[in-house]
Amino acid sequence: MATRVDCGDGARARQHVFLVPEYLKDASKKTKSGLMFVKLVNPCSGEGAIYLFNMCLHQLFEIKVFKEKHHSWFINQSVQSGGLLHFATPMDPLFLLLHYLILANKQGKFQPLDQVVVDDAFPNCVLLLKLPELEKVLHHVTEEKEICNKKYYKYSKEKTLKWLEKKVKQTVAALKTSNVTVSARVQSSAFFSGNQVLSDKEEDYIRYAHGLISDYIPKELSDDLSKYLKLPEPSAPLPNPPSKKLKLSDEPVEAKEDYTKFNTKDFKTEKKTSKMTAAQKALAKVDKSGMKSIDAFFGAKNSKKIGNLQNSKK
Amino acid sequence: MECRGEAVVEKERIHLRPGTLCDATPATLHLLPCEVLVNGPAPVGRFFTPAVRQGPDGLQVSFRGRSLRGEEAAVPPGFTGYVMVTEDRGERLKGKQDFSGSSESDGEEDEQELVEAPESLEREFDRFIGATGSFSSFTLWGLETAPGPDAKVLGALAWPSLAEAIHAQVPED
Repeated sequence: MATRVDCGDGARARQHVFLVPEYLKDASKKTKSGLMFVKLVNPCSGEGAIYLFNMCLHQLFEIKVFKEKHHSWFINQSVQSGGLLHFATPMDPLFLLLHYLILANKQGKFQPLDQVVVDDAFPNCVLLLKLPELEKVLHHVTEEKEICNKKYYKYSKEKTLKWLEKKVKQTVAALKTSNVTVSARVQSSAFFSGNQVLSDKEEDYIRYAHGLISDYIPKELSDDLSKYLKLPEPSAPLPNPPSKKLKLSDEPVEAKEDYTKFNTKDFKTEKKTSKMTAAQKALAKVDKSGMKSIDAFFGAKNSKKIGNLQNSKK
Repeated sequence: MECRGEAVVEKERIHLRPGTLCDATPATLHLLPCEVLVNGPAPVGRFFTPAVRQGPDGLQVSFRGRSLRGEEAAVPPGFTGYVMVTEDRGERLKGKQDFSGSSESDGEEDEQELVEAPESLEREFDRFIGATGSFSSFTLWGLETAPGPDAKVLGALAWPSLAEAIHAQVPED
């Protein structure tokens, strides 16, 4: 990429390929301004990331970039290197607020929101306070006190874990309907004819969803959530003590060659740790990749880009 | 505009011109399985488009003597595709009085862009961006064989539906 790009002629401006929700177009008819890209903190890494703010509809969108090696665009009568595809998808601002609530909690006291959301590195964080719906959902993650008509908040880990568990649940539901293959079986499925989703275990879905949510919360909270969900340690996949959440899927399981032994009756009794075949070990290994699953949707360059962003800020 | 007018806050923002989302004309996009290191005009309609053929197993074309196989990829439901272009500050700021962005020169920033990867958004803060084209599908090309259902970009197109679930408000107790 060291090629010097000649920008001498105006037609050579850089082009970005974006996918944005349709309703932004309708919203834009009613307003002259109010859509803007800003840099805010990434609640997982603490580094910078790009978000799109809609000041009229009071919405926050995150920007994800798909990048794969060796791609370029032809856009009408022009060529655009890189082949990047940007997604703007609605984001729950509570994840961002949570980042600040956790930081503020180190002082261990109740504070008004405008003292919590303070960030020298990302001054645009004050935009969060303009999201009117935010105050209504704050109770999911905080204890609050009202003194003289002013509200004071304090981070509550217990409530947050409960909230995150609900997030995991609704993500699991979406994973099931969108036919995302969450277990390692995606690899062997190539040998069979489709329908691999039917053999995914509930636990695989929960771990995958946990991985997705973990991209929006700090590492420590992710670990706490893992314990809260009673997920086994990914490094040593132990069979779980049967809990309600982790019971096997009620979906019909289709017998496909020796697949049956992974899914149904044998699984309950089998001690995975004691008798792991090479294939099972491989499966368990690949399972872990589910932890960083959002990256699976996008190029590996993502984190690097965020790093660059951080550097360029300084 | 609803902002505090603090210079420091106003910095690091790229304003999207809302009108351009309505005015964008349909654009034709091809995602190629190779990296062309230049950004700029290309006579796509002269060399590429007329060579596209509908074969028994999808679209066929060749680029630089290599055979490509293609298929249509649809933008996820509820979404619209846009091609957006950032405006050079100063050059194209005509009749934009309804925005309060500053217009100081940024020769230094341009210099940096030439050195670094040219496609990232990050160095374009405090500017304006507008849609120049819109699309609801694009042609996805693979080398020798069609990209197929395992193509990574098709996986990425499933992201909006999952993102919706992750970020939806949770039910109350």
